[in-house]
Amino acid sequence: MLEEAKQVCPTTTRRLVGEGALLVDVRETAEVARTAFDVPAIVNIPLSELEQRWNELPRDREIVLVCETGERSLKATYYLQFHGFQRVSNMQDGLLKWMRKGFPVIGERYDAPTASASACCGGAAPQKTSTGCC
Amino acid sequence: MDIKVLGTGCTNCKNTIALIDQVAKAKGVTITLEKVEELRDIMGYGVMSTPGVVINGKVVHAGGVPTREKIDQWLTA
Repeated sequence: MLEEAKQVCPTTTRRLVGEGALLVDVRETAEVARTAFDVPAIVNIPLSELEQRWNELPRDREIVLVCETGERSLKATYYLQFHGFQRVSNMQDGLLKWMRKGFPVIGERYDAPTASASACCGGAAPQKTSTGCC
Repeated sequence: MDIKVLGTGCTNCKNTIALIDQVAKAKGVTITLEKVEELRDIMGYGVMSTPGVVINGKVVHAGGVPTREKIDQWLTA
């Protein structure tokens, strides 16, 4: 049984980054191109690629997983825990809360979740024309 | 045979359960069929793409509804 994932708020996330933590943004490339977290230490590994790329991530450093709403990043957090990572946390409520708090971003600020982003049934955010679940 | 279907309850997951149940009944195979819906429990199997199917503790399928043929193979012990 996996440990309950550690959840941190955006404020704590900023503090952790200040202390050397790495942000891992699991949104798709197009989402990051529109709006990115403006922090010094961040990598983008889309959730759809995490199964192939998780071993790029450091085990000896705090990692905070982020996405738009905190849902996909929670899945990513558990996935890394499954692979034995212990220094991982999920940023609750994601980019949306980050922006609501006025924290720095590069690109467009917005306040409503993009309809296509979902953690349901698979890693990638489904296309709008998908007849898949949810 | 202990079968678990991993998924948060969407249509594909429901269809997977129904299909496994159907094939098992058609073959007269006795199974225990259980839904695993909590994310933490699903991720305990390392399954990123749901629906996932776990048989006697082993992940045999992940992502999309499995075909009838595949289910038939699993149930032919």
